[in-house]
Amino acid sequence: MDALLSVRDLAVHYRTAVGPVRAVDGASFDVPARSIVGLVGESGCGKSTLGRALMGVMPRSASIAAGSAVFEGRDLVTLSPAERRKLLWRRMAFVPQTAMNALDPVQRLGAQMLEVLVERGGLSRAAAGARAAELFALVGLDAGRLRDWPHQFSGGMRQRASIALALALNPALLIADEPVTALDVIVQRQVLDVMRELQSRLGLSMILVTHDVAVVAYACDRVVVMYAGRVVESGPVRAVLEAPLHPYTMGLMNAFPDLERAGGELVPIEGSPPSLLHPPAGCRFAARCPFVSSRCTEDPVLVEQSADHHVACWRAAEAPALRPLASEATTWSNIAKDATWSR
Amino acid sequence: MVAMIAANDLVKAFPASRRMRDVLRGHRPVLRAVNGVSLEVAAGRALGIVGESGCGKTTTARLLLRLEEATSGTVLFEGQNVSALRGAALLPFRSRVQLVFQNPFDAMNPRFTIRRSLTEPLRNFGLAPEEWEARIREAMARVRLDPPEAYLDRHPHELSGGQLQRVVLARALVTHPRAIIADEPVSMLDVSVRAGVLNVLRRARDELQLAAIYISHDLALIRYVCEDVAVMYLGRIVESGPTAEVIAAPAHPYTRALVAAVPVPRVDQDRGDLPIKGGLPDQMNQPSGCAFRDRCPAAFARCAEEAPPLRTIAPGRHAACHLA
Repeated sequence: MDALLSVRDLAVHYRTAVGPVRAVDGASFDVPARSIVGLVGESGCGKSTLGRALMGVMPRSASIAAGSAVFEGRDLVTLSPAERRKLLWRRMAFVPQTAMNALDPVQRLGAQMLEVLVERGGLSRAAAGARAAELFALVGLDAGRLRDWPHQFSGGMRQRASIALALALNPALLIADEPVTALDVIVQRQVLDVMRELQSRLGLSMILVTHDVAVVAYACDRVVVMYAGRVVESGPVRAVLEAPLHPYTMGLMNAFPDLERAGGELVPIEGSPPSLLHPPAGCRFAARCPFVSSRCTEDPVLVEQSADHHVACWRAAEAPALRPLASEATTWSNIAKDATWSR
Repeated sequence: MVAMIAANDLVKAFPASRRMRDVLRGHRPVLRAVNGVSLEVAAGRALGIVGESGCGKTTTARLLLRLEEATSGTVLFEGQNVSALRGAALLPFRSRVQLVFQNPFDAMNPRFTIRRSLTEPLRNFGLAPEEWEARIREAMARVRLDPPEAYLDRHPHELSGGQLQRVVLARALVTHPRAIIADEPVSMLDVSVRAGVLNVLRRARDELQLAAIYISHDLALIRYVCEDVAVMYLGRIVESGPTAEVIAAPAHPYTRALVAAVPVPRVDQDRGDLPIKGGLPDQMNQPSGCAFRDRCPAAFARCAEEAPPLRTIAPGRHAACHLA
């Protein structure tokens, strides 16, 4: 497979007074060219930290502790800050969760576009003006609105504008952190449609960080499921969502209220994720897993269980037999008592 | 059957910002956040109010809770008009109609133990102190926080989001309410724990025969916890009826768009264009006639002339559309 970005054993730690928090603790996955990869998991699983680490926009307390992230043949981890800056905007760009964070509230949108195009892209002002109009059209905004201020835009329009801004210099990879979480369903769908269309029209690759399996199902080609700083499962969206191999992924699919699934109880995953300050030895999901076995005290390795479908679970081979059990609420509630204070 | 809680033609108008020409002409423009909403919920039933941000669903909840004074219209509780009640006369109503907050991290006093947070409402509503402990234990059992001792002497920061949201629900139940109103009760929680909280809410509703109103933008969630649904658009209910029927065969074009837009965790799904145009219009400049017509794929001449009233289209089903 021809990967645009290849992440291997990446670890990102936050320094705290009581020791390092291992927010990302050995993550490996690929982003193939021309594909949208969903990075999915609960809050605190490390998905946003991972996205930001790849982008090189981390708080001071965070640092990459190990691993590599090879993007277009160069390891982002070992690049100097100056070299990294050259990649920003031009080869990879970032769309933050709330578009207001990407847009300067006291500058007209057109001026912000021009700044990137002229200062970073070296375009003449005339060329930059034309390009800005083109970018707005690309994300479905009227070029006349370039004269507007960010506060005059609705949430969906701001998100489109911040995507247009990210696309200004034709990057190959877009990393979007929860780009539609704050939006209403209709607007959410419209923004996802824009992202999908851009991907196919421009041949972009995207990493879409989200907590929402439904967003992944709608918009992504591949998915990487994270739990407590680790990648627990990854592969093509169809394989992972229709035939999940990891009990956590099975649980996520059943915990979701589904418009099409009739009545019945939802199946919660009891307990909460472990502390990343002192992560437990062995499988990190073990305390909440109904299928835990004696072997789970040993760290499961991420292996290619079937073609292009990776999983880190000792019982992955039994997944077809475990899946029907995972859809029963009683399967999960039996472990509830022990898991309550695991955090 | 008498509805446990009902609203009759509720209107809430907020003063809107005045432009210079308004000032010159002496106009005081108002924004009708809620514009003639009527609804009723019987004991043991749950109604979901669904719509986009700004549709007036949260204001409707605040009016029902008497946290906000309605400009006109009435709120009925157990058949009694409570709109005129003030001050101490409102207390019994307040203990009987409880709010479940959206964000459990904000809803609890961080310096209070869980026990103290649960005691506060009992003290406020004047329950004899010797009954407090029993009430608290009953509420904790109801939300499946078991054993209560493991939680009662802790502080909010020691609990996970899901546990905390159950405490928020326990605090609402501790006064023995007859109705609960929950505004986006799980939107701040992680997916894996949402299901647990929703299950607890549903069981409490069934066991105590509460009338429940859920406010949410998420139709999938409403479908899971509410038998009935009311869809709001720009301050008005545009469609209502049994949730399953409304989702299976939406009568209003706005509901159709909402249903089509709800993300589902399935790989094979319709990715066609949504049957809706543009975004929410400026509330102060709504189109004439039907407020939805600008965005409606089926709009025709009559829609510009005449606002369609909410009318019965089938037993139990109502829609405000000329074509329904």
